Amino acid sequence: MRIYITGIGWVTPSGIGRGRARDRFSWGSGELPALSRRELFSEPYPRFGRLDDFSRLGLSGIALALSDAGLDAWQEKRPIGIVAETRLGCLATDIAYFDTVVSDGGALASPNLFAYTLSNTFLGEAAIRFGLTGPAFVANCDGGNDLGCLRLGIDSLRYGDCPVVVTGRCDLAPPSAIPIRDASTGAIFLVLAAGGEGVPPESYGELRWDSSGFATVDGAAAGTWEELAAACIAGGG
Amino acid sequence: MKDVVICAATAVTALGDSLGESWERLLQGECGIRPVERFDTTGYVSKVAACVPDLKPGRGGSRLAALLERTLDGLPAVPPESLLLVASTKGEIDLLERGRRGLEIDPRRLLAESVLGEIRRRTGVRGSGVNVNAACASATLALGRGAAAIACGDAEAALVVCADLVSEFVFSGFSALKALSPGLCRPFDAGRDGLSLGEGGAALLLMSRDRAEREGRPVLCRLLGWGAAGDAHHITAPARDGCGLILAVKRALQVAGIDAQGVDGISAHGTGTVFNDLMELTAFRTLFGDRKVPLHSVKGALGHTLGAAGGIEAALAIRSLESGLLPPTVGLRHPEPGGAGCVSASVLTFSGGILLSTNSGFGGINGALVLGRKEPR
Repeated sequence: MRIYITGIGWVTPSGIGRGRARDRFSWGSGELPALSRRELFSEPYPRFGRLDDFSRLGLSGIALALSDAGLDAWQEKRPIGIVAETRLGCLATDIAYFDTVVSDGGALASPNLFAYTLSNTFLGEAAIRFGLTGPAFVANCDGGNDLGCLRLGIDSLRYGDCPVVVTGRCDLAPPSAIPIRDASTGAIFLVLAAGGEGVPPESYGELRWDSSGFATVDGAAAGTWEELAAACIAGGG
Repeated sequence: MKDVVICAATAVTALGDSLGESWERLLQGECGIRPVERFDTTGYVSKVAACVPDLKPGRGGSRLAALLERTLDGLPAVPPESLLLVASTKGEIDLLERGRRGLEIDPRRLLAESVLGEIRRRTGVRGSGVNVNAACASATLALGRGAAAIACGDAEAALVVCADLVSEFVFSGFSALKALSPGLCRPFDAGRDGLSLGEGGAALLLMSRDRAEREGRPVLCRLLGWGAAGDAHHITAPARDGCGLILAVKRALQVAGIDAQGVDGISAHGTGTVFNDLMELTAFRTLFGDRKVPLHSVKGALGHTLGAAGGIEAALAIRSLESGLLPPTVGLRHPEPGGAGCVSASVLTFSGGILLSTNSGFGGINGALVLGRKEPR
């Protein structure tokens, strides 16, 4: 099966970007940029401001990738899947939620925060917002491969779970109480499409994955997200 | 596609430290839901949950380590190159509770990768590993991914391990959402009023039939089909028309190469909440029409074990397929009208050899598995 990258979008401390805007991707360091609903969504979206930070980040990454692929507008629900990798997940929300429990024996526990103490909740937000009914899950990989989620997304297509999948990774900065040094901050998502009769017109190139954990885009090797994004943008789209 | 079989299965629940013990006590209609002793429930809607008896904090200070130890205890040797798929929604969440109360913890154990490492250490599995988080459908999706990898020839074996705890973190949250039953949960009952939480773990070894036969492994059952789909409807409430569950089941049936008429029994999610159970009955009605397919839920006995639910229920489904029995739906008094004639407070029998197992979770995700009785070749 041939698999093509048809969209790419990200939010990192270096900025907000999309492939077709010819933006340059890097993780960078420091604070994430402020995420404004108006910048990311053409339609009103009152819930956006009520999401926890992890969900807002992940949803923004997915929205940018779908927009880049021309898939943000929809009339009927679509069998598009989502695979999102994370290390910390919603840990910051977990802490914020449990602090509402500890403060008064549970009497003031926040139901709204609790709803976001599952790492996959933002996938549900994305599914609702964009009408996505494909399989969706959050993955915590232990292989140490920064691009591990690509393999999972590719497999979703190869296994016939869905014809299109949004895949990427999403992490907030570690909470101050959790000193983890080697975590990238930000979200980056790709839209991958299974090739049918030919190359999709939105394609950045053909994505391949080899068993040693390297991706190639139209033959150009990419071992990091920076290289992958650069290969996409160099490939056209 | 290669045939996928389940060669080994363990389960630890409130009703027993082995699959056999849990199964026998389920058949007797026993209930493992008891008053919670490990934290103060004064401020919460419910005072009960299905905790695994005598589960003390293990290595690193979490009860999850002790639960995993019990779960993996009865597992035979696993091929080291097996894929590792873990399903835990909150991992060692009891450590986060300790940390926020000022006790010292190792913060790295709060990451899901730590649970993967613990399982690798205990089983010797070296293949690529991933924790699948799809809320209460986590184990169902993990089993589907493992099966798909084997069916497509990506792997010959996959170990799926699922586990979740009863914690104050989760208990308080479901209480705040008003999703807990004040008493004992009553899945598919007309008077149901919420879920009861539970904890447990399961480990299932999936293999290609060829590999299993080559190694002389027992075939407990066949994993014939798998599917997952989203509602795209609401974050915490299911779509009333069951649209996502219907898609997931249709996909699982398609993979299995059978139609809805081929399903002989159902292990339903059956949480005991008003909306989940009604959604499931609506979906089953759409899928099976007027045919009364026997169905049951174990959550009135074992509580809702969150990300582990699908794995525990798949392990129990092996016993159902072996015996042709569905355990009683504990807590049922007067079935919801759409479930009348399908669900029972007594043991149900089902003919044929195909069982459907379903789970649904927050975020609107649904998973379905089609399991088949082992067959002589």
